[in-house]
Amino acid sequence: MNLDVVFAAMGEALTLSSFIGIGGGVFLGYVIGVIPGLSRSVAIAIAIPLTFYMTPYIAISFLIGLSKGTAAGSAVSAILLNAPGEASSAATCLDGYPMAKAGRPKTALKIGLLASVIGDILATMILIFVAIPFARVALLFGPYEMAAILAFALVFIAGLSGGSLFKGLAAGGFGIFLGTIGLDPQTGLPRMTFGYTELMDGMPLIAVAIGTLALSEMFVQAERLRTERGNMSIKIENRPDDVLRWREFKITIPTIIRGTGVGTFVGALPGLGPSVGSFMSYGMAQRASKTPERFGKGAPEGIAASESADNAVIPAALIPLFGLGIPGNVSAALLIGAFAIHGITVGPLLLRDEPELLYSIFAGMIVASIVMLLIGWFGLMLFAQITRVPPPVVIPIVIFFCLSGMMLQGYGAFGLLILMAFALLGYLMKKYDYSFVTFLVAFIITPMLELNLRQSIILSRGDPMILLNRPIALFFIACTVLALVALAVRTLRHPKPLANAPEEA
Amino acid sequence: MTTLRYLAASASIAVLAFATSGNVAADEFPTRPLTMVIGFAAGGSTDIQGRVLANVMEEYLGQPVNVVNQPGAGSAVAFTRLKNNTDGGHTFLFGGTTALTFTPIITEVEYEIDDFEYLAAVAVGQNAIVTAAGQPFQTFDDLITHGRENPMTYAQQTPLDQAIMESVAAQEGLDLAIVPTGGGGGMAPLVLAKEVDFAYSGGTHAQYTPTGEMVVLAFLSAERSPFYPEVPTIMELGYDYSIEDYRTIIVPAGTPEAAKARLIAAAEHASRSERFIEITEGNTFFPVVFIGQEEMEANVRRIRAATEAVMAGN
Repeated sequence: MNLDVVFAAMGEALTLSSFIGIGGGVFLGYVIGVIPGLSRSVAIAIAIPLTFYMTPYIAISFLIGLSKGTAAGSAVSAILLNAPGEASSAATCLDGYPMAKAGRPKTALKIGLLASVIGDILATMILIFVAIPFARVALLFGPYEMAAILAFALVFIAGLSGGSLFKGLAAGGFGIFLGTIGLDPQTGLPRMTFGYTELMDGMPLIAVAIGTLALSEMFVQAERLRTERGNMSIKIENRPDDVLRWREFKITIPTIIRGTGVGTFVGALPGLGPSVGSFMSYGMAQRASKTPERFGKGAPEGIAASESADNAVIPAALIPLFGLGIPGNVSAALLIGAFAIHGITVGPLLLRDEPELLYSIFAGMIVASIVMLLIGWFGLMLFAQITRVPPPVVIPIVIFFCLSGMMLQGYGAFGLLILMAFALLGYLMKKYDYSFVTFLVAFIITPMLELNLRQSIILSRGDPMILLNRPIALFFIACTVLALVALAVRTLRHPKPLANAPEEA
Repeated sequence: MTTLRYLAASASIAVLAFATSGNVAADEFPTRPLTMVIGFAAGGSTDIQGRVLANVMEEYLGQPVNVVNQPGAGSAVAFTRLKNNTDGGHTFLFGGTTALTFTPIITEVEYEIDDFEYLAAVAVGQNAIVTAAGQPFQTFDDLITHGRENPMTYAQQTPLDQAIMESVAAQEGLDLAIVPTGGGGGMAPLVLAKEVDFAYSGGTHAQYTPTGEMVVLAFLSAERSPFYPEVPTIMELGYDYSIEDYRTIIVPAGTPEAAKARLIAAAEHASRSERFIEITEGNTFFPVVFIGQEEMEANVRRIRAATEAVMAGN
């Protein structure tokens, strides 16, 4: 790596106009992240035309800043409203909301922010200094490995669910069932679409995520309002114990580093996405903890695990993009389009042909992380004002944003009906203590698992012995079996699960 | 004057007949911002071309052209919506025609070819058979020779390319296992990691051939690509199949003549625009063309008939 090029690029990254561009992107992303219903991929798609008039470097940094901002901002609504701004912050609710309810909202927000920023900076460093030359490692993860990892993620994350084993199986099974709706990936024949063209690509993910995560939570809170009027909103008071002390933050550092590792791994593998990353990280933090029973009741490590992994996925998804030209997730795929509009083909040639541009973008990403810290830290007091607004005002506004976010997807009235159906489903699941986390993760993973499993079976021509040449796949299959056994043993020994989804107050 | 010239270029008698009386109206369209519907998610080749096209058309028409992505079922969702649109040409679709020439054959959809008008094509779809550099076969003939001795694997993206490749395999006696990929993004890692021997590509190869990581073995399109002049079409190789696709501007049937004429003129303007050519040819490797309405209407119906014949053979 030529250091002169790196420093020259850094210099270019530090001009006033680039600060404004990147800062604008992060700020916009942060606001979109905070608002439940408006999602990251929609925000990027809408923002791409805005970048027509920017230089390529500022345009790309603006869009990456936007992604990073949404990942950090989504923690705010997860912690203060129990309604995550993005599906990938759903794991942040599990401990963030209980901590805020217990009177320490500022501490929860600060832990979330610091975990986001540290996860982000570390993953960006890995992207710059380690990963691009090793991007080809991702090619070792073929269909066999991906199928094994997805099966492991499904079992592992399902193990986090509250309620009984059978309720968990029911929720996961329903998620898998809904995940099979749509055109068959090979024959193109419709499955359970009942003649609706809109369902050909499956149940719209945004409708399922916004419905079960955000909108249903608004229903739950609206109902609670009837019985606990005036006594339910989170108050930011200057309580002496609502201060993040070093001693408390220190214990989350190993969790943040683990979360960054999980997020980077998940991000670097094309397809998995930030939701899988944040839940895997949460689960691993809980398993590694000496006091797992604190999780789900406001453990700072829970917030740190989810947020660090969520943010680490974003730079990590650029590893296969810059190294191989393969997008790591939906947002990275959008960036390919943004690059192309500026006349740049993303991929390994970028490093060879336009290293200045690439290093400027890297420098811009670091600037974005720092801006994110500043916006988050000083914006904390601003966003905290949300808590002063009484719930009868907040709830309809959030519902409005959820519905508008769905309209932006272009599904029309059909999308709103699906959204409402899933909000009702989410409401019932919360009421009767079925894990909507298990449901959602099963729904997200199923189409990927199906495709990779079918590829594996066809490519191996049905011969399982091929796994003997696939040590990585074999390893994850062993992990899946172990996770299943652990789950069964735990259910037999403790009728009560370790981590509860946030309890009804 | 320019309006008249473009009207003539559209070579439609109906349009010409309307021109004398409808000139004033033609100058008036569009009176408000336009919407360009793209039936795929942002980031793909249709989206990239569409966004630049919208930008260039906007300059010509004097009204903003907003791009709206309506992904789903390879544009079938977008066509279903477009069919019922009645805003007089202010909403139009830009994209390929396979949702009309292929999708209705295998699945029930709520629209047909006659529900739309095909105003102008500005780029020719590129459908290729690709493999990774370093495979023991680097031409289509070598692939067939290799395949006669070894079991082979192929990554499909649509039932149509699968049907064609199954016919080729049967004809040549290949033992071929065919896997689904879910699109160009899923195809690339399978090919690069040599998990599959060869694959279908609807344009994604443009990102990997410049680095030498991917090799185009043959084109499924009707003609050779100007960007890979030495690569033959499978038609030239003696297999009587092709997958033709044109990136076309499409409006619902019954759109006012004046609006259609202006959109056609804007499309022709775009097909000569340096910016549109630079991105479409330079970045996505799609040749830019201008094909008027009469020829496109015929093309769509001809391709549909040919596709029905291929699918009936399976």
